[in-house]
Amino acid sequence: MKSPIIKVRDLKAGYGETVILEEITFDIHPGEILVVVGGSGCGKSTLLRHLVGLQPPLSGSISYWGRDITRMEEDELGRLLHRVGLSFQGGALFNSMTVGENVALPLEEYGIGDREQRRILARMKLNLVGLGDQGRRYPEELSGGMKKRVGFARAIAADPEVVFFDEPSAGLDPVIGAGLDQVILELRRLMDLTMVVVTHELYSIRTVADRILMLDGGKIIFIGTLEEAESSDHPRVRQFFLRQPDRGIGNRE
Amino acid sequence: MTNSVRLESGGSVIVPIRKPLTDELGRTLLRDVGEMISRGNREIRIDLAGLEELDSPGCAWLIRAVRAGKAAGAEVKLVGAAGRPAELLELMRPNFEPLPPPSPRPGFLERMGDRGLTVWEEFRQALGLVVDALYWSFIAPLEGKGVRWKGLLDEIQAMGSSAIGIVCLINFLLGLVIAMLSAAQLRLFGMEILVASGVVIGFARELAAVMTGIVVSARTGAAVTAELATMKVSEEIDALKGMGLSVSRFLVAPKILAILVSMPILTILGFLSGVAGGFALGIFSLGFTFERWWWQTHQAVSMGDISQGLVKSVFFALIIVLVGCHNGLRVRGGASEVGKATTRAVVMDIFLIIVADMVFATIFYYTT
Repeated sequence: MKSPIIKVRDLKAGYGETVILEEITFDIHPGEILVVVGGSGCGKSTLLRHLVGLQPPLSGSISYWGRDITRMEEDELGRLLHRVGLSFQGGALFNSMTVGENVALPLEEYGIGDREQRRILARMKLNLVGLGDQGRRYPEELSGGMKKRVGFARAIAADPEVVFFDEPSAGLDPVIGAGLDQVILELRRLMDLTMVVVTHELYSIRTVADRILMLDGGKIIFIGTLEEAESSDHPRVRQFFLRQPDRGIGNRE
Repeated sequence: MTNSVRLESGGSVIVPIRKPLTDELGRTLLRDVGEMISRGNREIRIDLAGLEELDSPGCAWLIRAVRAGKAAGAEVKLVGAAGRPAELLELMRPNFEPLPPPSPRPGFLERMGDRGLTVWEEFRQALGLVVDALYWSFIAPLEGKGVRWKGLLDEIQAMGSSAIGIVCLINFLLGLVIAMLSAAQLRLFGMEILVASGVVIGFARELAAVMTGIVVSARTGAAVTAELATMKVSEEIDALKGMGLSVSRFLVAPKILAILVSMPILTILGFLSGVAGGFALGIFSLGFTFERWWWQTHQAVSMGDISQGLVKSVFFALIIVLVGCHNGLRVRGGASEVGKATTRAVVMDIFLIIVADMVFATIFYYTT
C-alpha cells in the first residue's frame, strides 16, 4: 500500500474550553474514498474545517504528503491547498460572479491555461454535474441543489489531488444525488482522486465508501470498511447502519 | 511535435498522439490542426490510440481542436481512444450546443419605461411598508395587540443611549465652530454678545435636529438596513412570513417606537451641547460672564423655536427607520447586495432629511 496522503495524529480541537474533537488519529490513502459519518453535532464539520486548515487545532498534527499543516506559514498552506478541493454544504458560491466565472476562478487564480482553455475546463466540469448550460446565470438564479452542484464543479475545477465534500448529496433529489455519487466514483477511477466525503445518506455511503470513519461524542468510534461496519457490534455503529432510532430524539445518554 | 503526419486519400489526415498531452503539446496540436485546415484538408483525425493517460486540461485541448475544426468548416474527429482516456473523454466531453445569445439591449423608450415601472414599484412597496408599519406601531397597540417590550427596550438602548456620546460631541464642536464664525463677523460691529442668540436660535430650530438626524442615520439607519438585509438574504424574513407573522410588527414597529423615543431626546441633548459650545467660546474666548451670556441666550430663544426642532426630529426619526427598513427588506441576492442597500439607505436618509428640512423651513417661513 502506498504511503498515506494525509495523516492525522492525536488531533484535539475545539474553541477555548470547549473540546469538540479528541484523540483523532487516522490516515487517508491515495485514491480512496473515506466517508465521515456521525450524528448531528458530533464534530464532522469541525473535523473537515481542521483538515483544510481553516481552524488551528488545540493540539495534535495534520500532515499532507508528510508536511504538517498546523505549523505552516499561511502562504505555504495556501500553495498546498491549490492541490486540495473543497465543496461546501451550501455551495458557497460568489454571488457577484456568474456560475461559469465561479468555476473558472480557481483555474484563473492558479494560473492554469489561457482564457479559452479555462472556459472549456469550466464548461467540462459543469457538464459533469449536469449544469453545462447554466454557465451564464448568476448563483441567485439557481436552486439550492444546483448551487451545491456548482460548488462541486468548482471544487474539482483545478483537478485537485484530494477533494473534501461536505454533504454532497443532502437536499438533492434522489436521482441527482445518485448521479453525483456516480460522478464521484468515475472521478476516482479515471483521475485517481482521493476523497473525503461527509454525509448522512446511507445510500450514498453504500455506493461510494471505501472506508467509513464514524464519529460520536467527539471521538472516532469506528473506522473500517462497509462490511466491517455492518458486522460491528458497537451499539452506535449498529444503530446507524440499521437505522434504529433512539428512544425519543435528543434523549441520548 | 505531433509526430509524423500521414496523408491519406481524399484530403484526410491522421494525427497520431503518442505522448502525454501536455499544454505545450496541446498548443502545437491546435496550431498544426489550423495549418492543415488552411492547406485544404477537410477531414482530420486525431489518433489517440497511443495515449495512455489523459487529464482534464488534455481533454480541453482535444475539445478545442475539434471546435477549431468546426469553426473553420472542417471535420476534426477523435479516434482510437481506448481505456481510461476514452472514458475520461466521454465523461468530460461537453455538449457545446451554442448558448442562447444574450438578449439585445432594450431601446431608449423601453429602458425609460422599465425605469419608471421600477420606481413606481418601489414607491408602492415603500407606501405599503409605511402604512403597515404605522399601523403596527400606533394603532395595533391601542387595539390591544401587544408591543414586544423586550425588543423595544433593546432597540432604545442601541439607537438612543449608546448614541448620546457622539451626538453631544458633534453638536458641541459644531456649536463652537458656528460661534467662532459669527463672532468674527459680529466683532466688526462690536456686538459679539449676539453670538449667543445666533447659536441658540440656530441650534433650536435647525442645527440640533439636522446634525442629530445625520449622525443617527449613519449609525442607526445603516444598522437597521444591514440587519434587515442580512435577515432577508439568510431567509429569516421568509421564515417569519412563513410562520404567518408580520414583519412590520416584529421588526419594524419596535424600531419605529424606539427611535420616536430616542430621537427627540437625542435632539434635546444635541441642542444643549451646541449651546454649550457657544458658551465655551463666549466665556473663555470672548470674555463674557456666565450670567451675561446666559441672559442673552435665555432671552433670544422661545419655546416655539425649540418645538420646531423637536417636530422636525420626529419626522427625521420616521424617515431614518422607514428608509432603513425599506432598503433592507427589498434586498435580493447575497453579501454584496447588503453593502449596496446600506449605502443606498444612508444616502437616501440624508437626502430626505435635507428635503424635509427645507419643506419645514418653507412652512415656518411663510406661516410665522
